[in-house]
Amino acid sequence: MGELRTMMQMLKMSFLTRLEYRVDTLVATTAVFVRESMNIIVIYLALLKFDKINDWNVDEMLFLFSILFVTYAFVVSIFADLRHFSDMIRGGRFDRLVIRPRGLLIQLILNNADLMASAGHGTLGIILFIVSAGRVGIVWNATTIMYYVGAIIGGILIQGGMFIFFSSLCFYFVELESVREILYWNMRKFAGYPISIYSKLIQGLMIYVVPFAFVNYFPAQYLLRKPDMANYNELYMYIAPLVGVVVYALAYVFWRISVKRYTSTGN
Amino acid sequence: MRTYVEFAIKKFQNKMAYRLEFFMGIVNTIITIVVYLCIYKALYEGKAEVDGISYAMTATSFVISLGLSNAFHFNEMFIQDKIHDGSITNEFLKPVNFVFRLLWENIGEGLFRVVFNFLPAVVFACFYTKLCAPYSMGNFIIMLISVALGYLVLWLLSLIIQVLSFWLFSVWGIMTIKNVIVNILSGVFLPLWFMPDIIKKIIVFTPFESIYFTPIRIYLGEVTGMEMLSKLSLQLMWIGILGGMAGVLWSKGVKKLVVQGG
Repeated sequence: MGELRTMMQMLKMSFLTRLEYRVDTLVATTAVFVRESMNIIVIYLALLKFDKINDWNVDEMLFLFSILFVTYAFVVSIFADLRHFSDMIRGGRFDRLVIRPRGLLIQLILNNADLMASAGHGTLGIILFIVSAGRVGIVWNATTIMYYVGAIIGGILIQGGMFIFFSSLCFYFVELESVREILYWNMRKFAGYPISIYSKLIQGLMIYVVPFAFVNYFPAQYLLRKPDMANYNELYMYIAPLVGVVVYALAYVFWRISVKRYTSTGN
Repeated sequence: MRTYVEFAIKKFQNKMAYRLEFFMGIVNTIITIVVYLCIYKALYEGKAEVDGISYAMTATSFVISLGLSNAFHFNEMFIQDKIHDGSITNEFLKPVNFVFRLLWENIGEGLFRVVFNFLPAVVFACFYTKLCAPYSMGNFIIMLISVALGYLVLWLLSLIIQVLSFWLFSVWGIMTIKNVIVNILSGVFLPLWFMPDIIKKIIVFTPFESIYFTPIRIYLGEVTGMEMLSKLSLQLMWIGILGGMAGVLWSKGVKKLVVQGG
């Protein structure tokens, strides 16, 4: 239970820090919201003209986007410290954690939570959900709601797992910003759209290497059943929430192995 | 003039030192191109034309405008940072015009990106998909002039927001919002042909069309002959208007700064 209390304390501290700069927080949140809305506005305007993208209409597209934003809203706060993990190692801040009587990962989780980014992404995700969820023909009953919640948790775990995985690599290579940048951020650009529009190579990367497809595409397919699902194994829809648990567990094991290698960058 | 060109050359060389950043920039651009070309291909779904615009024209428009928007990227927090750490006062002591120095440094950076980001991206895109060739040699040359004018329009828009940092503590938020508006209304991601009519009507009264879309239309031959000159003069008109606004704001801001400093 001590772990949970630590995490809650971290969250509270992040929150209190933000409250000190109220106007700045509001502006930054709005800016994140507007910046992230850009892709949505573009695809919305495009679909006004073109109607459909691989048979996905505008509401279905917004629903697909909403999952990405809702999950990321959690990820960006829970795993905030892992975003700049190589800085942490290089600056020697990681040494401080090593000497404290708590698990290392626990101390990183929820620390410095980026609540402005969470609010920006979260608000956008919720608005998209509200706009689209009623219009895409999903029957919301106990099964679909449970699946949806499971898929959201799964999506958080997949992205969290990726953060942990890339952070673990920092124990092997001090300068790693670039690889993470290419793999995580660039692959995320693909994630807003139905993966069936891409070449087989990109689809493979999105399913098996950087598994964003399980964050939003397959969960959305379970709920929407679009014809392009015929290209993939149907099983993928059902296991989507579980993929998160597996990815996270693998990343955690890798972290435990890697952290043993840690020798400070200082002297 | 010579001094300012020196600033541009220095910045260009300066940028050459960061190879990783350069490499990342290309990967970033190429991936964005792939994503959007896949989207356009799916949107076209085998249709030869939509509103008289072919897929190749759309792809060309996108590659050019995205490439230019990356090339035209510069540090928009420069003035704010200078004001925050007070070093802006040193700038006024130097025997060069601060704003012109900034312009030329940014041009140097822009040229760096044209060579090391835009051109590789265009080469990649040529192999990746079918793009349109320039309509004619004449159009291509006029397009280059139009690109330079488009750059000035974009740069002045940014300068106006940057100068607001004389009054505001942080212009980062406004800058982000400005960039989103520019990216959408200048047609970087969705070419302006496909905008809803209502937005098209509004855009006519804004400088956004002058940034990327005018050069692209000249390149594609949608605009030819004398009409090109009228488009160029429209760009010049916006440069005049925005330049005037920036100039007024700048001189007011500098006065205010002098009052504050002791």
